Amino acid sequence: MRSGQFTWQGQTISFRPGETIAAALAGAGIGDLGRDGAGAGLRYFCGIGACQSCLVRADGRIVEACLTPARDGAVIAALEPLA
Amino acid sequence: MSRPQEHRCDVLVVGGGTAGMAAAVELAATGIRVEICEQSARLGGAIHRQPADGSPAAGLPRALGAQWQRLSQSLAHADIVQRTRHIFLGIDSDGLALFEDRAAGTVRTVRAAAVVLAVGAVERIAPRPGWQLAGVTTAGGMQVMMKETGRVPSGRILIAGNGPLPIALAAQLTKLGNPPVAVIESGDPLRRPGAALGLIAHPHIASEALGHLARLAVAGVPWRRAAALTAIERRGETLFATIVDRGGRTTQIGVDWIALHDGIRCNAFGLPASGDAIDSRPLIVRAGDCREALGAIAAEADGRRAAHAVIAALRGGKIARDGSSRRVAGQRMAQALLSELFRPVNLANDPRHLADDTILCRCENKTVGDLRWLLGQEGLSPREIKLNGRFGMGACQGRFCADSVMAITAASRSASVPEDIEQLTGSRWPLRPVSIASLAATETPTADTNHPTE
Ligand code: FES
Repeated sequence: MRSGQFTWQGQTISFRPGETIAAALAGAGIGDLGRDGAGAGLRYFCGIGACQSCLVRADGRIVEACLTPARDGAVIAALEPLA
Repeated sequence: MSRPQEHRCDVLVVGGGTAGMAAAVELAATGIRVEICEQSARLGGAIHRQPADGSPAAGLPRALGAQWQRLSQSLAHADIVQRTRHIFLGIDSDGLALFEDRAAGTVRTVRAAAVVLAVGAVERIAPRPGWQLAGVTTAGGMQVMMKETGRVPSGRILIAGNGPLPIALAAQLTKLGNPPVAVIESGDPLRRPGAALGLIAHPHIASEALGHLARLAVAGVPWRRAAALTAIERRGETLFATIVDRGGRTTQIGVDWIALHDGIRCNAFGLPASGDAIDSRPLIVRAGDCREALGAIAAEADGRRAAHAVIAALRGGKIARDGSSRRVAGQRMAQALLSELFRPVNLANDPRHLADDTILCRCENKTVGDLRWLLGQEGLSPREIKLNGRFGMGACQGRFCADSVMAITAASRSASVPEDIEQLTGSRWPLRPVSIASLAATETPTADTNHPTE
């Protein structure tokens, strides 16, 4: 497990070894994860993959930020453009 | 299209938390070939979420710390195939269990004689205006984040809801140096001496709770009982929580984070039904909180109980008795006492009182008003509520709205009320929205590729 950096909406975010995308974003003070197709707001909530409200696009795939380990060089984006 | 490669094992355990780990260890000890699949990157589940950097977990009550030692060490010495980042999609009509393997980006299929489902609990969160905002988490979600990162959220934190977990979270935050501004509790446990006395029979629970309360008292954290958080609003950087107290007076508190928790329930949404093996369909047994939400101590015993039931079915013979069922029954009594102790007396969070513009189903962005409008149409069936309103159809499969949809429907009397929650949420496949890329990858012909056999 290594530390590294990924980009969130173009912004560089550092993560510590083994951290999830959600943990790294929270560490960088980012809580608002944008909106999904239905217009509902996205954010970290349950932490266990149940609520599906932390979905992000990681290297093009839609995944739960709370379950997905951060990867060095990953490109992470909100499902819909942030307001 | 050819069939994806099938992998085989005797027993497949779905869920690598307390119950799943306990079941897997017990099964493997009899020589059964076990595979355990977990959705996140490490085993442990919500209770035993391990720090990301591999350092030992801290801050658990002693009984749970010992539980983790026991389970993780037994697992390390057992011959069990462990697969992480495997999202369970369901069991298809041919009896194959399907997973999305997130690390490989493919779908993995497993044929097993028996499947133990151990997918845990979810927290109950009563909808309140603003519960969907960023900065609002479940209390368990905040705990999981703290366990994983070793960091406490910075800024002002408010905890609200019902039951012992909010106090546990508050004590943990206090210990780590950022006590919450208050804990809002809809019950009034200090006025239920009968239930409190009953807990003397469960010294672990009683001493743990008293320890938490003592820590909060020393730190001066107010425990506002018979009070409810009824609304959240974001103004600039601050979340404003509206609190209704015992006498019906309303106050507002401005904070950075809000953690909500109104109890726990089985995470049985969309799960395949339990049942004996028929034709190609495996024996399916549920274990732990997804069978009955009784917490981690019960989950370990229930995992063993489920393993014994599977062993008896596969090998023949009687189900081994080792006191596991008795232990589960003991925890059932303890949980019943706790529910009585914490029975809500402030009913301001009753979903029938919610304003129309409150988000009810976050995944589909549907409000309480949308449901009431639907219920205004005469004589709707549960299926129509679901299909016409999309309630319980979103990505979370109704985990966070189905209970409230049921309560509001029951109160309206115009629609036929679903008898049980499955009528609303259904049992759907796949269990998770799965990426199309992964499904496509499954369909690669296997004839001309050399898959390593396992
Ligand atoms: S926070 Fe609920 S699924 Fe990630």
